[in-house]
Amino acid sequence: MKIKLLWAALLCNVFFVLGQSASEVRDEIWSASDPYKKANTVPEKWKNESAVIIYKHENYDYHKFGINVTYTSSIRKRILLLDQASVKEFSEFSYRDKFYSNKALGSFWRRGTNFIGVKIVKPDGKEVIIDTDKEAKEVDGEKKLAIPNLEIGDIIDYYFYSVEPFKSVYDYTFEAVETPLGDVYPTMNLKINLHTENDFFLNFNTYNGTPPLNQIDTGKSSDRLFELKAENIEKNEFPRWFYPLAEMPCYKFQVIFARSGKFEKLADGFLPESEKVVKKTISKEDIFEYYNKKFYPDGDLGVVNRYLKEKSFATEEEKVREIYYFCRHEFFTRYFEAFVVNEAKIMYPFAYYGTNPIFFRDEVPFVNYFMQFLKKQEISYDVIIATPRFNGSIDDLLIQQNVRKLIRVNTPKPIYIEYFNAYSGTDQVNYSIENSKAYVLEVSKGKRVTDVSNVTLPSSTYKDNVSRIKTKVDLVDFTGYKVQRDAAYFGHLKESEQDDKLQFYDFVYEDYNRYGTMKLMDYVRKEKDRKQYTNELDALIKKLKDKQNETYKSNVESEYEVKVDDYTFEIKNTGRYGKDNALEIHDGFTIANNYVKKAGDKYLLEIGRFLTSQIEIDKKEIERKNNIYMSFPRSFENEITFNIPEGYSVSGLEKLNKKVENETGGFVSTAEVKGNQLVIKTLKYYKNYFEPNANWNKMIQFLDAAYQFTQEKVLLKKN
Amino acid sequence: MKNLILSLCACVSFSTLAQKNIDPTAEDISKAKSLREQYSKDDVAILESTDAVNFDYNSSADKITVSIKTNEHLMNINHRADIHKYEFYDSESSIENFKVKFRNEKDASFYVKDEPYKDDDLFYNDARVKYTSIDFPVQGYTYFYELNKKYNDIKYCTTFYFQDEFPVLKKKIVFTVPKWLDIELKEFNFAGFDIKKNITDTDGSTIYTFTLENAPAYFKEKDSPGRTYLYPHIMILTKSYAKGSKAGTLFKTHEDLYKWYASLVKLMQNEPEKLREKVTELTAKAKTDEEKIKNIYYWVQDNIRYIAFEDGIAGFKPDEAQNVFEKRYGDCKGMANLIKQMLVLAGFDARLTWIGTKHIAYDYKTPSLAVDNHMICTLFYKGKRYFLDGTEKFCAFGEYAERIQNKEVMIEDGEKCILDKVPLGAAAANKEVFTANLSLEQEQLKGTCQRSFLGESREYFQNIYNHFESNKKKEMLDGYLAHQNKSIKVDQVKMSDINNREQKLTIDYSIDIANKVSSFDNEIYVDLDFMNEYKEFQLKDRKTDYEFDYKTLYESVITLKLPAGYKVTKLPESIAVKENNYEVNLTYAVENNVIVYKKSFLFKNAVLKASDFEQWRAVNKRVAESYNTQIILTK
Repeated sequence: MKIKLLWAALLCNVFFVLGQSASEVRDEIWSASDPYKKANTVPEKWKNESAVIIYKHENYDYHKFGINVTYTSSIRKRILLLDQASVKEFSEFSYRDKFYSNKALGSFWRRGTNFIGVKIVKPDGKEVIIDTDKEAKEVDGEKKLAIPNLEIGDIIDYYFYSVEPFKSVYDYTFEAVETPLGDVYPTMNLKINLHTENDFFLNFNTYNGTPPLNQIDTGKSSDRLFELKAENIEKNEFPRWFYPLAEMPCYKFQVIFARSGKFEKLADGFLPESEKVVKKTISKEDIFEYYNKKFYPDGDLGVVNRYLKEKSFATEEEKVREIYYFCRHEFFTRYFEAFVVNEAKIMYPFAYYGTNPIFFRDEVPFVNYFMQFLKKQEISYDVIIATPRFNGSIDDLLIQQNVRKLIRVNTPKPIYIEYFNAYSGTDQVNYSIENSKAYVLEVSKGKRVTDVSNVTLPSSTYKDNVSRIKTKVDLVDFTGYKVQRDAAYFGHLKESEQDDKLQFYDFVYEDYNRYGTMKLMDYVRKEKDRKQYTNELDALIKKLKDKQNETYKSNVESEYEVKVDDYTFEIKNTGRYGKDNALEIHDGFTIANNYVKKAGDKYLLEIGRFLTSQIEIDKKEIERKNNIYMSFPRSFENEITFNIPEGYSVSGLEKLNKKVENETGGFVSTAEVKGNQLVIKTLKYYKNYFEPNANWNKMIQFLDAAYQFTQEKVLLKKN
Repeated sequence: MKNLILSLCACVSFSTLAQKNIDPTAEDISKAKSLREQYSKDDVAILESTDAVNFDYNSSADKITVSIKTNEHLMNINHRADIHKYEFYDSESSIENFKVKFRNEKDASFYVKDEPYKDDDLFYNDARVKYTSIDFPVQGYTYFYELNKKYNDIKYCTTFYFQDEFPVLKKKIVFTVPKWLDIELKEFNFAGFDIKKNITDTDGSTIYTFTLENAPAYFKEKDSPGRTYLYPHIMILTKSYAKGSKAGTLFKTHEDLYKWYASLVKLMQNEPEKLREKVTELTAKAKTDEEKIKNIYYWVQDNIRYIAFEDGIAGFKPDEAQNVFEKRYGDCKGMANLIKQMLVLAGFDARLTWIGTKHIAYDYKTPSLAVDNHMICTLFYKGKRYFLDGTEKFCAFGEYAERIQNKEVMIEDGEKCILDKVPLGAAAANKEVFTANLSLEQEQLKGTCQRSFLGESREYFQNIYNHFESNKKKEMLDGYLAHQNKSIKVDQVKMSDINNREQKLTIDYSIDIANKVSSFDNEIYVDLDFMNEYKEFQLKDRKTDYEFDYKTLYESVITLKLPAGYKVTKLPESIAVKENNYEVNLTYAVENNVIVYKKSFLFKNAVLKASDFEQWRAVNKRVAESYNTQIILTK
């Protein structure tokens, strides 16, 4: 009897995976009872939109038989097309009928099938189902479908249905879905279904006014069906400085497959206590449960101990900082040369680093290694669990992959250390988690996580995140300018500039010198080979430097909104070792036939332009409805020194003196003539991470003042 | 702790990379350095390249085949170079060998990819590309490249060029033409190039060898003429063959070409009855024949989406009219055929017409598939011929796009064909005018403006405007009128019928301009030129002719009412330049207390020739100086 049942189940499963035909899919989605079959009208308020989604249905279905998992997903949209732009948008489709799942490894790969269906509903209600097999053209497995007879006023009703079978022996975490409720067009009716059975664990929640997920009784205890319904949803719009998930109606979910309790523990997510329960929030207890065994002191400290030998530090803080920078090199930037050499096919470099080189690939080995170091050094620390502010508050945490893990070293002034990038330091936590509520995994005796508490991570101010630029300006032939700039960047503004401006060769050799480590080429014993590889790497660096120069030049042209010539630059300091160590860049260039206006024997100098282009808030932006979410508080200091030509003087400085300051930030500028120089100082600053919409007008005041400054001119005339 | 690197170590052998005798010699490095001085913008130079072209006869298919064997010697002249070497083929051709070798002649074994060729402008095509990535690690590094390509039918093998995307130090093209084959090797754009030609006779063949030395790389400039104008090349004109008992005529004259095209047209199975209801609907209420024609022509422009197909023979055979009509999409041939069938149903004489657009330098004196790339419909009406291009949007009946003007057309005429030319238009037909009537209020310029567009300037505007989503159109239009400048505010925008292709398109609006007026002491400085047209059109370092989208006439009239108590003490100098290809006029005058500032730019031939550039730059500099000169008003 048991065997018979098993066979019956197996056959069912085979039928489900293999037997689903295009016509069955079509009949399921465009069924005779489809309540939207005759839905052809849209509300008056959306008549001026490009298109309106009458109905959107997303379906996610998770089934399994042993290790065979079948993930079926579909999306159907019924859209009224109201202009040429939307007709064009839906006039062509590209897709593949068959694909290979990437949800398992190696020989477990299975072939998936996609079904597509398109029908057009003409304004008179006549339905035309497109024969996609006949109409589509196929090249190398990719199908291209031109939709026939599609016109303004038509409804396009299409679906994309994907069956993806794969095998999962242990556990599998599906990619999380986190999205605003809206679409690029307004949506009249939205329905989202999730269908799961035993061994599939669901985390799902809705936010910011989105209706809740409801369970629908299927009559089967092993089978669960959920539904989210919403109506009357405006189209998505993403203004400047905005975190959609923090404010817009949205939903998040993740499904995790785990066949047994053993695998549940391995799963990469916060599992609900049972498949029967939908997990909506992550409690402090959940955090403890998930992480208490994830982190443990681990790693060979030999190299660190050797480095520490014969070194002394005034404080534990100093020691931790120094070891952080050392590890950033030893386990990270030391290999940059090798990655570049490998990518450029100069040689295969990795074997030179011995049989067990250590490279930190992500946060977990980093945290464990520093736990080991701090434990051995008997320095108190805790592990911090945070989530970037763009995900919303940590109180709304649902997806494990949204978590950032870092260490708080409990020195008199705590130090927060995070997984490296080439520029990361020990003075500031990542801007995305700054000033946010986080969990502290309290570590007892340097070993085990024993409790969880809450903390608000440190914040930075506009005085920490500074761009300071000194610009020297000389008039050339009374028609253009020669410009020399010295820029220094601090705090989070430094990080973004470093990422943008520095190439590997700008800093890896600095690290080699600082730590006395061997360059890649020093490992190559055979002199002939070393010479060859060195030549090839040098050639690559020369080429990259040429490109770097071109990129810098084009960036400057964007900043000044004019073409520049004779561009030169020099990186004076990479700024990679601490808060007070600025990124310093000098550059110079000329501007021809711009920003000088001749007025008889006088000249109008558009001196305000040397502040470089500023944010222009246009009519649409003034009417902003959303709150303002910014990465971090910041300030921009500029000193513009104009050398007044001999025998000339400048007038009209009044307009260069501006002062707009309020609780959101400010723009302040002063101008004075000192000897033969016109010296202008400006400060623009943003005080906060977040501003309520009520403060938007206050921000506009200083943003407009900064823009207006760029438009100001002085008169240059003969004495 | 993960060990990322260790897992990678085991499987790669060092020895494959440490090849001997492939590094550049001292002579190579020295040569690369001197070449880089000569070709400072190029990474790679082709030291030598030979195309050996041979012809054969495939008796079973009764086709003449062409095989091309290319051998190249490439050198990196920059510090390092990473390039792609690629070759296209399609259903009429194949690539039989594609190989890159090191300096020591050993196969470099680079992975050769074979992919469909993707082009944003083509919905579907049968072209494929074979390509490989080649890295040159140091200056002077060289590779040998080999390619064998075969055309199954000689008519698809049309032209041979000497130049490449890299400079070529020595290019040789060798045609071995068997005596049984009558072809002409027609030379184009040889003037100004020292191309050596050598002809030798062997028993069964004549060998033509063309050699060009020190040919620069193809230009990488936008808005240039097509390459058929720019570079020396050879076109194969295949006239006839007589191999044993087999003989045949290919494209001896344009009529032979027409015969082949007509044979494909005959394969169409048009079912005009399926169009009748629509044609009746479009013509029933028309009061005149001209109205009927327009209704049909405009309906096709408005309702048939252009989707390009290049798919073997389907690249030459038009799709049936009923298919295009029912699908509401088609390529140029399908659209031309639909217009023809609809007009014929309505009782007019309409014919399919082949044409090479402006991009192609040839006419039908050289009968080849390379001559044309487009199809339109010719209407014979009241003793005149009208050319109808279904791929245009907003093109009025009797107006012709720049891309087909003055181009030769081949019109179907039963067994024969008619050669004619699309009429040449004038820049005045495309006139764009900007007017602004302003007065001073505090330090703001305020007033009303109008922009108007005719002909192709109108079409250009209508196309862009209609491309935007309905709910974004106003924002986009306001931004355009305000020059995307926060200091310029526009309001009360009124536009004439945006869909009308027979009227001048006008946009009226009010304007408020800040930051263009400065007061110092008793003087007011006015920057009346807030548009700065053509200021950045400097053509710096440009080598090839600049081609405009259409013959351009732009006029601007800005008036400024003087504030009470002020007089004009300084006006910028007027400019008047008249050259063959362009005219520029800037004038300032004070009339009845109003400053009248007039500007006009005329590019009457839709081109600035490279030979015009030096003079144009001088004119442009004067224009920029004028724009940078303030009007001074004094109390």
